[in-house]
Amino acid sequence: MMRQEARSPSVRTADARWTSLVRTALRAAAACALAVPLLAVSPATIAHAQKQGGVLRVTHRDNPPSASIHEEATISTDMPFMAVFNNLVVFDPDSKQNRLDRIVPELATSWKWSDDGRNLTFQLRDGVKWHDGKPFTSADVKCTWDMVSGKVDGKMRKNPRKSWFINLREITTNGDREVTFHLKDPEPSFLAMLAGGFSPVYPCHVPAAQMRTHPIGTGPFKFKEFRQNESIKLVRNPDYWKPGKPYLDGIEYTIITSRATMVLALEAGKFDLSFTGELTPELVKDVEAQVPQMQCVVQPSNTQGNLLVNREKAPFDDARIRKAMALAIDRKAFSDILSHGVDQIGGAMLPPPEGRWGWSPEFRETVPGYAADVEHSRAEGRKLMQEAGYGPDKPLQIKVSTRNIALYRDAAVILIDHLKNVYIQGELEPLDSSVWYARLARKDYTVGMNVQGTGIDDPDVMFFENYTCGSERNYTGYCNPELEKQFHRQSMMTDFDARRKLVWDIDKALQEDGARPVIYHEKGGTCWWPQVKGLKLAVNSIYNHWRFDDVWQDR
Amino acid sequence: MLSYVIRRLGLMVLTLFGVSIAIFLLLRIVPGNIADILFDSAGLIDPAEKAKIVHDLGLDKPLVVQYAQWIGGLLHGDLGYSYVSEKPVAQEILPRIPITARLAGLALFFAIVTGVPLGVISAVKQNTWLDYVLRVTSLSGLSLPSFWLGLLILMAFVHYLGSIPIYDRTPDSFGALVTMLGVPAAAVGFRSSALIMRLTRSSMLEVLRQDYVRTARSKGLPERAITFDHALRNAVLPVITVIGVETAFLFGGLIVTETVFNIPGVARFLVEAIRWRDYPMVQNLVMFIAVVVVTVNLLVDLAYMLVDPRIRYGE
Amino acid sequence: MSVTTAKPRSEPGWASELLYLARRYPLGVAGAIIMTLFVFSALFANVVAPLDPFSTNPRASLAPPGGEYLMGADVMGRDVFSRIIHGARISLAVALGATFLGSGLGAALGLASGYVGGWFDLIVQRLGEIMQALPLLVMALVITASLGPSLTNTIIAIAIPLIPNVARVIRANVLSLRELPFVEAAKATGMSELRVAVVHVLPNTLAPLIVLATAQLGSTILTEASLSFLGLGVPEPYPSWGRMLSESAAEYVRTAPWLVIFPGLAISAVVFGANLLGDALRDALDPRQRD
Repeated sequence: MMRQEARSPSVRTADARWTSLVRTALRAAAACALAVPLLAVSPATIAHAQKQGGVLRVTHRDNPPSASIHEEATISTDMPFMAVFNNLVVFDPDSKQNRLDRIVPELATSWKWSDDGRNLTFQLRDGVKWHDGKPFTSADVKCTWDMVSGKVDGKMRKNPRKSWFINLREITTNGDREVTFHLKDPEPSFLAMLAGGFSPVYPCHVPAAQMRTHPIGTGPFKFKEFRQNESIKLVRNPDYWKPGKPYLDGIEYTIITSRATMVLALEAGKFDLSFTGELTPELVKDVEAQVPQMQCVVQPSNTQGNLLVNREKAPFDDARIRKAMALAIDRKAFSDILSHGVDQIGGAMLPPPEGRWGWSPEFRETVPGYAADVEHSRAEGRKLMQEAGYGPDKPLQIKVSTRNIALYRDAAVILIDHLKNVYIQGELEPLDSSVWYARLARKDYTVGMNVQGTGIDDPDVMFFENYTCGSERNYTGYCNPELEKQFHRQSMMTDFDARRKLVWDIDKALQEDGARPVIYHEKGGTCWWPQVKGLKLAVNSIYNHWRFDDVWQDR
Repeated sequence: MLSYVIRRLGLMVLTLFGVSIAIFLLLRIVPGNIADILFDSAGLIDPAEKAKIVHDLGLDKPLVVQYAQWIGGLLHGDLGYSYVSEKPVAQEILPRIPITARLAGLALFFAIVTGVPLGVISAVKQNTWLDYVLRVTSLSGLSLPSFWLGLLILMAFVHYLGSIPIYDRTPDSFGALVTMLGVPAAAVGFRSSALIMRLTRSSMLEVLRQDYVRTARSKGLPERAITFDHALRNAVLPVITVIGVETAFLFGGLIVTETVFNIPGVARFLVEAIRWRDYPMVQNLVMFIAVVVVTVNLLVDLAYMLVDPRIRYGE
Repeated sequence: MSVTTAKPRSEPGWASELLYLARRYPLGVAGAIIMTLFVFSALFANVVAPLDPFSTNPRASLAPPGGEYLMGADVMGRDVFSRIIHGARISLAVALGATFLGSGLGAALGLASGYVGGWFDLIVQRLGEIMQALPLLVMALVITASLGPSLTNTIIAIAIPLIPNVARVIRANVLSLRELPFVEAAKATGMSELRVAVVHVLPNTLAPLIVLATAQLGSTILTEASLSFLGLGVPEPYPSWGRMLSESAAEYVRTAPWLVIFPGLAISAVVFGANLLGDALRDALDPRQRD
């Protein structure tokens, strides 16, 4: 099961007023009173004497394509290897929600924006060593982002997040302990992109090819072994710069592709922790029923299901048909079937309370197609179809393409069931993973069911990657230059409330346009045995909390 | 005999050569290559970058050149590098072979120690209720999907014993090996056991009808002595036959069993390699399997000649 | 099935005929009954299945067996019993399709190979050896991967590895038949080679062919199940038994064991029936191989 995840923005223009970050933070905090229960510190994190030692055994869902986080966009690589590295800054591990105003230093000791919001300067930590003994310096930081932003050919096989750093003009160093990122336009969210699990600092002296097979980092755990399709082993870094940490002697991931086996092995106590988000909400109930002491959380997996309609192909160039399709979807039924109602309904942005930028429930009611009365919407859809020349005796025959993976297929089966309501007869076309994206890239499909992920809960990441004209992952070819101006406008805004209001409006416009109707936001479960302490997950990201330097075992 | 073996060896080489061409071409008509898979796993679609990977791996060279490079390397003992792990193929395959070999060995062992005695009993008690029960059992051994059987066993273990017999470390003693691989070996060996049972039964029946057995009986030799004397001798042939027939089939069972019990052997690895379009991996694994199969077939034929002098080969 | 034609008897009436068969081949008749039930539910799936196997229902998700859902419902709220009935179609299509295709091609090749002889025979034999050097499931895996997931491709992938075995048996049969007096006689009357082959040799290879084909019915069903279990067989929305056992269904082994137990039972029962029938047919049609 591979899921797609993470990526983002392009060039921005126009000017911005730079207000104080402190004020923003205060307001944001107030606005997020909604999320207070989520931010509460769990009892497990309150420090009682942490015990040293033990190996944490974790299940892994599939073979990671490589060990190099910068070359991959999948949680399969991110979760196991994040503990090998450090970032400059990181989303506060103690905050249950990843947000711009909850970022703490890691390899950087402090940071400062210039007055025009275009230069971001970091002071770096002293005395940090790479796992091979070489010292960490500002040159490593420059090397990493020169490579990731594509300024220097770093010999990577793939560079999935190049678009996150298109706004990056240049990186300069001042001695070994200071580095500055120079941006083309102000972009407050830039800091968020550096704070996620996908932004580790790489060593300058280790070639990209080695990072894929034997990564070297500064993190709490050293890479020991990666056996393809079998296991990943990390061992404690005794020279970690955080004194006394980590507590664990090592972490071992066992790759188990059969989910039945994985669940049984977890319940039998062969593993301490399940791979993040891999358990469906229904399975979590199962696990909790069988093993009452198991600790489980069900949280958004940063993955959304959406409908792809190729607007360049007849008859889908007809807006009426696209709208009818959007009206046929009963989002509640998707959520009920796929997750027993746990999956959330929203626009492109992850809905609250977990998400920072999604619509409030009241606002959602105002968006066409999101109304509670599905039958009414479907009647409207049928009328549109009849106008376009279709009817009960003359249904529109289509193929619904999707990846031949249960996660995609199940959703497509439901979609076909729903489209019947507006005189559309769908036939499922399951495609092998090796051809799915190639077909999307060539726009060689008419209707597709897609599941996509997002690395960071941030509008810049979402809009620029998926909805700008000509962007690589704009699979449907949606292009709205007017709306794109708004993308840039929100990107430069520093006032949280104002920015969120604009984001809501943009998201509404996208759904009204039927750009890529978002059907559900998936949730997934993670479970661990009670002896695992100090594990802190975020509610709006599965990618960012796997440093494991606070985790210990109470055996 | 010697000329027969030489001729067979010659044919073996020819067969393996044919297998190498077949698998090489089959893989190239599979839609999508490693670049597609790698980009898919990152959700990326940049044709230029993809072309670079294809070029770096030499996949844009003419097929003849690619084939010659592979076979040339193979003849020098160089299996190339895995596209995914970027490690030498030999380093990926070799440590996994003993695991699968042990599992297969245990499965065959299980099959022989259960199949032969039950087959003999079934023949001796022909057409009694015991015979019927045993025959139905052996037929069900040929009917149960081994992955299903494996799942049911796992379920039962977790449910009743609270433990799970999956492979989680390299076994350090024979005892550990049996406790870890015993259950999956039984799950996959059930089929072979059933087959041995059937063949033992039918060849036993044939023997029991023979004149010399009648003679032995008329001479007043105890029934038990007759049965065991002839049973042991006659059990050899079905066992050899089954080993011959089952080597190829067992491998299929191993693929699903290794998946269900999460055993990191070569069989499951092959499925993953196909999924990743990891050509060097698939090609060499398939060649390895073919070598095992044709070698076992040859050995089985030779064993036949040794055991049963009536059999002559080489027209 | 053809059991009745196998042993022409003197007693009149089909009832006594059946009674005789039941006494002579009790296991074979049991197999025939299982296979008849299987074929019947496959052919009349629309009538037999109480519910639509495709329609999803959030309220019925993982409903236990009993009541409206005889064998329970899967996670999408689809009726397991109805899916098994409709799945019989897929299994039947795969079993018959692959067996006919594989046996047909194999028989044609074997016949030609045995009859023509010479270099043609040599090539066919070598190709057969190459194919038999690879385990059936490995061949099927590579072929489905190259053709892509679909019902037709699954049938082709399972049929191809069957060819060499059938070809070998038929070839051996043809070789021994060629020397028999009635074939010689037919040739002497001036019949063309092709006619002799089709009129005299082919019918006499039918018995071993039927025995072989029936023996393979079961293994084709098992192969399809294994392929689907590995995610490569017949894709959704077809309710394939193997797929019903894999992926999302198998996750719920503990809370909803019926999702795993019933499809597995269906596969086992049908393969069991096919094997029983195969044994009886072998006994009836091919006395040389009788126990």
